[in-house]
Amino acid sequence: MAACIDMQELSSILTRYPPEQRYILAIMQDIQGEYKYLPKTGLQMIADYVDAPLSRIYSMATFYKAFSLVPKGRINFKVCDGTACHIKGSSIIMDQIDKYLNIKPGETTADQEFSMETVNCLGACALAPVVVANEKVHPKVTSSGIIEIIKVYGGPNDAADN
Amino acid sequence: MKIMIDQQVLEVNPGVTILEAARQHGIHIPTLCYHEAFGGQGMCRMCMVEVKTSHSRKVVAACTYPVQSGIEVQTSTPEIEKGRRTIVALLYRNAPDSGFMQKLYTDYDCPENGLAVNNGERCILCRLCVRACEEIGSSAISAVLRGTEKRIGTPFDEASAVCIGCAACANICPTEAIAVEQTDQDRTIWNRTFTMVQCRSCGRSFATREQLDYISQKTGLAGLDLEVCDLCRKKKLAAKIEQFAR
Amino acid sequence: MMPQIIEADKKMVLVCCGTGCLANGSMEVYQELQQQLANSNVNVSTYTKATGCNGWCEKGPLVKIIPDDITYCQVAAKDVAEVIAKTIGKGELINRLLYRDPKTKQRVKSHHQIDFYKKQHKVALRNIGEIDPASIEDYISRDGYQALNKVLHTMGPGQVVEEVIRSGLRGRGGGGFPTGQKWKACTDVEASVRYIICNGDEGDPGAFMDRSIMEGDPHTVIEGMIIGAYAVEATAGFIYVRDEYSLAVKNLGIAIQDARQKGFLGENILGSRLSFDIEIVRGGGAFVCGEETALMASIEGNVGEPRDKYVYPTEKGLWGQPTVINNVETWANLPVIINDGAEAWASIGTEGSKGTKVFSLVGKVINTGLVEVPMGTTLREIIYEIGGGILNKRKLKAVQTGGPSGGCIPAEMLDMPVDFDSLTAAGSMMGSGGLIVMDDRTCMVEIARYYVNFLAGESCGKCTPCREGLKAMLEILSNFCQGKGSDADLQFLMDTSETMQMMSLCALGRTAANPVLSTLRYFKDEYLAHIHEQHCPAGVCRDLTEFYIDPEPCTGCGLCAQHCPVEAISGEKKEAHVIDQAICIRCGECRNQCKFDAVMIR
Repeated sequence: MAACIDMQELSSILTRYPPEQRYILAIMQDIQGEYKYLPKTGLQMIADYVDAPLSRIYSMATFYKAFSLVPKGRINFKVCDGTACHIKGSSIIMDQIDKYLNIKPGETTADQEFSMETVNCLGACALAPVVVANEKVHPKVTSSGIIEIIKVYGGPNDAADN
Repeated sequence: MKIMIDQQVLEVNPGVTILEAARQHGIHIPTLCYHEAFGGQGMCRMCMVEVKTSHSRKVVAACTYPVQSGIEVQTSTPEIEKGRRTIVALLYRNAPDSGFMQKLYTDYDCPENGLAVNNGERCILCRLCVRACEEIGSSAISAVLRGTEKRIGTPFDEASAVCIGCAACANICPTEAIAVEQTDQDRTIWNRTFTMVQCRSCGRSFATREQLDYISQKTGLAGLDLEVCDLCRKKKLAAKIEQFAR
Repeated sequence: MMPQIIEADKKMVLVCCGTGCLANGSMEVYQELQQQLANSNVNVSTYTKATGCNGWCEKGPLVKIIPDDITYCQVAAKDVAEVIAKTIGKGELINRLLYRDPKTKQRVKSHHQIDFYKKQHKVALRNIGEIDPASIEDYISRDGYQALNKVLHTMGPGQVVEEVIRSGLRGRGGGGFPTGQKWKACTDVEASVRYIICNGDEGDPGAFMDRSIMEGDPHTVIEGMIIGAYAVEATAGFIYVRDEYSLAVKNLGIAIQDARQKGFLGENILGSRLSFDIEIVRGGGAFVCGEETALMASIEGNVGEPRDKYVYPTEKGLWGQPTVINNVETWANLPVIINDGAEAWASIGTEGSKGTKVFSLVGKVINTGLVEVPMGTTLREIIYEIGGGILNKRKLKAVQTGGPSGGCIPAEMLDMPVDFDSLTAAGSMMGSGGLIVMDDRTCMVEIARYYVNFLAGESCGKCTPCREGLKAMLEILSNFCQGKGSDADLQFLMDTSETMQMMSLCALGRTAANPVLSTLRYFKDEYLAHIHEQHCPAGVCRDLTEFYIDPEPCTGCGLCAQHCPVEAISGEKKEAHVIDQAICIRCGECRNQCKFDAVMIR
């Protein structure tokens, strides 16, 4: 979704908050929530708005995992890699996604349809392993179940010959 | 107040750190991320020392620990030396090409280990470059990412609009980790090429255009007055003094 | 919206809408219930509530009906019509929705009769699952804000501090520092501005206690914080909530607004001299921000890098002012300590660890979920009596406590009482309360690698021992999992661990070696098997493990082939099946499914 960013719209997100450095995180979260990533121009706008060097804004954008500098796919798979999910096979699920969509954690497919990331424990440990597709929580996902889920969201029907 | 460092009783001012107190009295504590221009950063952990107070004994970073009346400090113990050796061995992996780290590795008698080394890299993440750039006032570079991926760079690894090409970062770097390509005409650093300015007196290239513009902006001095290199400036000043002395 | 309450014959239906049950469709159940009740001609006045997490996530969505005291498990939207017609309308039980006790094989009417609940003692979790977290009236109806009233009108700030000291309350976030002492230290510093912070950055993987409290009973946290503000004379408070907890952020927001409306927050609270308000700050997705100095840096608008704590936050904290930071569960206990009194609250627990603790019991245990028990309860009681034992009838191998900063307690030490000091003595720690149950199909070397990998990404990267130490340990452990490595590497692990413990900047770095140290302490033979024999005894490390079918016990039922996600198993019906090693991804499903123990590991 790296379409043209509306500068005015972006600006209006910033002005929700006073121009103080303590609101940098909150501003970034609102931008991330709106655009699903942090556009480069957005970072410069924040730097100017709160009067902080761009390098500091960039440090924060890369330090906190809530933010992405690259647009996510239409469907973003968040595979929980908390301990409970891990011992119930979350790495196998990630391998399956890699096998079918050819993306590793942190990557987006070339057609921008799918992306995958690992997330820290979501706190739904009784439902391990958990995969969140956009906002929808999928509980107790098995190694075959993830393939079905990918197909439901429009993924390829056969395993890609990689 | 009085404190003790390595069995020596010292008179120190309140508000200083153990490292500052030690330096004032010529006592050596190894550091990698300390610079007298910036003070302690608490990052390399080489300066850890043992502190004994009336009710506890602990190992603390000398560069950030504020002195307290009556503390007894040991700058070296077998455990601390072992820790320093491990730190050097770990950092050496990141900078095996650097003479600085090679010397430290030998000095600390680091053991061999089967871990991979990072040939071609030199950064030990002491962040002296970042602090220097901050002090200059540009903050063009910063520590990026997190954890084992941490590194130093400009935003998006692109040419920075606020970098003035002064190379203070490269000069302060202990392991020569910052690449500077220098010719008479230009200087390339952090993916940006700057035009060099020649001294009006001797013709030597000595600063970038952006550097002089920055100084002019900060000090109000006219650009032309700044186009004299430091050596010629000293000669001019010496000549003036000589004139007045006559 | 509640219909007119008619005296007798009113019923209340509570639908669990904690994150776990929501993922299993409880919102659909709740909405269906509301809709159908509105149109129903059942002759009973019924109102519904969406509550927070009941803790028994294994059996959700949970639906409770009072005053009948009926608990239905795994309820689906399609069951709603029957529940209304039969149970609400005629008082009849629907057996298939009742919990079936695996020991007695009987159906059980109410959760109060189940060991999972019977053996718990809810203090911090006292309201969750019983109230609508978005309703301040619900909280008030259960003694809510009475402690605040008591404190503002009958106690001085110093008295409140004394009461908390006398209770013996120790921080529930992991450090276990005596809360009262922390508050006292803050009051000892002269300042005109002081801050209160609630650390809701619950980052330990496998832990969701704080999430449930913030989602399911936000007012207990708020009331606790206001009491704290009065005690240390603070003017502003912050709740730092992990970014991933959106429902918690939402419910806290509603609660704060409602509290302001009722005069519990704002100027001159309840007519007293106290003026205090709370702001929510969302984390950015960084485990290290659970460390208090990193948390404060984050609030101030910076990366979450900790600083040396030679000067404590109680002296110089947020923006240089004296600051008290406590964990969610710690704050949740405060109203009870004030209402019941320090002695009563401290009458349970052990000598060094008073009160109760909420644990998230997860992993290979039958009843996964949240449990709150008195300090001093043994691991055996928690895992077997409350947890119901190990899944799939496997053997318990170890319990991981304290998250990535903690360690593993082996099965031989099951009768250990769970409290701060015992766990630390055993080489682990209480941490925030995560209890990860591991069975014999867990490889302890892989677990150490998993935790080190987690920490390597979460470390802030500022100090050398932590950043470089984790990088080196990860390399070595990954090698071990592939059957490579040597005894010299083990020694290097030990040396690096020592350096990290002694010299790291913050608690994350200082405890980062714990997973390695504790697994080495109790499971060294597994490490040696990997290094010397290229063998993974648990059958987990994929480069060292092969699944194969023993033709002897194999009956050719084909169950394994059916469940294989990559179709690696072939065979004729009633004939021994075979696994194609080239295709097999070592997921272990076949072994889980086989009823004849025919799938072997080598």
